Amino acid sequence: MEAGDVPGERDAEGPGGTMAARGSERGATERGGAEPTGAMESVLLSVDGARICYRLRKQVVTAVESATFSMDRHERLMLIGPSGCGKSTLLKAVAGFIPLAGGRITFDGHEDLTPGPDRAVVFQEFDQLFPWRTVLENVAYPLRVVGRERSEARAIAERFLEMTGLTQAADRHPHELSGGMKQRVAIARALALEPAMLLMDEPFGSLDAITRARLQRELKAIADRTRVSILFVTHSILEAMTLGDRVVVLGSPPSRVLDIVDVRGLGGPGDPRYVETQAHLHELLGATDEDLSGVEG
Amino acid sequence: MSKAEAALAPADEAPKAGELPRGGSWWRPAGLAMPGAQGGRGVAGRRQSAWSRLPTWFRRLIVFVVLVAFWQFYVTVKHVNHLVFSSPSAAMTAVIDGWRNGQIAHATATTLEVLVIGMAIGLVVGLLFTVAATVTTVGKDFVMMMTAMINPLPSIAILPLAIIWFGLNSKALIFVIALAVVWPMAINMSTGFTTVNPTLLMAARNLGLHGSRMIRDVLIPAALPYTMSGIKVSWAFGWRTVIAAELVFGTAGGSGGLGYYINNSQYFLQIPNVFAGLITIAVIGIAVETMLNMVEKRTVVRWGMQRSA
Ligand SMILES: Nc1ncnc2c1ncn2[C@@H]1O[C@H](COP(=O)(O)OP(=O)(O)OP(=O)(O)O)[C@@H](O)[C@H]1O
Ligand SMILES: [Mg+2]
Repeated sequence: MEAGDVPGERDAEGPGGTMAARGSERGATERGGAEPTGAMESVLLSVDGARICYRLRKQVVTAVESATFSMDRHERLMLIGPSGCGKSTLLKAVAGFIPLAGGRITFDGHEDLTPGPDRAVVFQEFDQLFPWRTVLENVAYPLRVVGRERSEARAIAERFLEMTGLTQAADRHPHELSGGMKQRVAIARALALEPAMLLMDEPFGSLDAITRARLQRELKAIADRTRVSILFVTHSILEAMTLGDRVVVLGSPPSRVLDIVDVRGLGGPGDPRYVETQAHLHELLGATDEDLSGVEG
Repeated sequence: MSKAEAALAPADEAPKAGELPRGGSWWRPAGLAMPGAQGGRGVAGRRQSAWSRLPTWFRRLIVFVVLVAFWQFYVTVKHVNHLVFSSPSAAMTAVIDGWRNGQIAHATATTLEVLVIGMAIGLVVGLLFTVAATVTTVGKDFVMMMTAMINPLPSIAILPLAIIWFGLNSKALIFVIALAVVWPMAINMSTGFTTVNPTLLMAARNLGLHGSRMIRDVLIPAALPYTMSGIKVSWAFGWRTVIAAELVFGTAGGSGGLGYYINNSQYFLQIPNVFAGLITIAVIGIAVETMLNMVEKRTVVRWGMQRSA
């Protein structure tokens, strides 16, 4: 699928407040347009008993035993679970990089998935940027690949670099950046593509609390505006509850889905439902109170 | 893209090895006091000599001047036979004369022309072999086998055969040079292609890149550190081979390159000219190596893909 087909803002306006404000009316029209197509159409991604194995020398290692969940169009689905439970693996399978050993993954009605810019990925690894391109080129080049004009690609790239606070670093090469800065470039690159779905693998994992909170806010604003669907891997229950609509909890490997928790419309930490949901997630992840003392504020 | 997929499967999450800060080396981190830094105290707290506090280029210049002075002194004082050995001044005069009357310039042009054609053919064929080795297993086996067999063989040893096949002309030379260049190119580039960082490949495929654009925009730049070292090795092989081949040709009375010039000068006992030829060869060698290092500095080193040239 061409990324050009993906609905989204194309104008050169700043990514800040104005667009977020205008997004609401835009979102409304889009929602209105999508409604008559019926319930089946609203499912964007469905993962059905997906089983994913790695070949490790002579052995076969099962990373994901069986995962079943589905994701609606415009939904923000959080994937949470202990380290090594197969979150990244599942994300890469959805992106089309790893074939399934069993089960099915259907995206937008298609079953045999190949990698494409309609599912832009922010990888967990720091070395996902092109070392020979500057920060600006790293964001602009993918836009050229999906068919944008040079000047347009540059303008969009500059806009997203500003949003991720990287304007100062635009002319540097990736190896001259910190780990967190590299991740922000990758985030800018994925966002700039305005994909149908964003696949983000612990994108804020290496950022300080303040930058993290700011980028979470920005991501939320962008998602509100463009209504992009997001599959988001995180370790943080708090982050999952802040950003997500629903949270898919994976168990320890070989993993299955333990529960899918709805975190929509929860109030702040004062809300009893919030506290209850948080406690439930903690319990699912097998954390004791001791484990959590001093964690997640 | 089966190879790319195979490369993807063992995605190792470990960070890339050894990213030391700029200006350091593995035994001397950049943070520590450098020789020549303020106060003149070195890593071990030992006082640095006045000598090591001088700029590098200046130290090297002094060494060079002293060596040349010694050479001149030796030849002048010992009255070495001019038909056996030449003084640096005589050699320099011969270099200047040779460039003035066009002999050295012509010889240099002839040598470089043959070398450039030979290397270009070698590079292109090496690239083709690389593609074959990257795309097919048979190609890989072929390249590995040929490299293991032919690379240890100094390609100048093929010259007698090449002369029989191509005749006593520059085609034989070009063949031998191309042969010297193909294998180091093929082995280095195919290593470069197959060791591209899997995450980078995934990021590229995520953009929908494939085919020729993938090769041009991702694989070739990603393999550049290996390609550059391939080119450096090829140059070293090619340059030595062409001079050696011309020396052999020279006795046979052919071509007219730098090797021939040296051989011919020796034949007529013009020893300063022999030295002039040697100096020219050394200077060209240094110039090309410096140029290649500069290219490396501006590309792979600047991009952090290789620590230093
Ligand atoms: N390339 C690989 N080859 C073999 N096994 C792998 C490979 N990648 C991951 N695994 C295994 O698959 C399992 C899941 O790995 P994955 O990277 O998906 O975990 P994760 O949930 O993303 O962990 P983290 O939160 O630490 O990033 C792990 O047990 C890991 O050892
Ligand atoms: Mg992971």
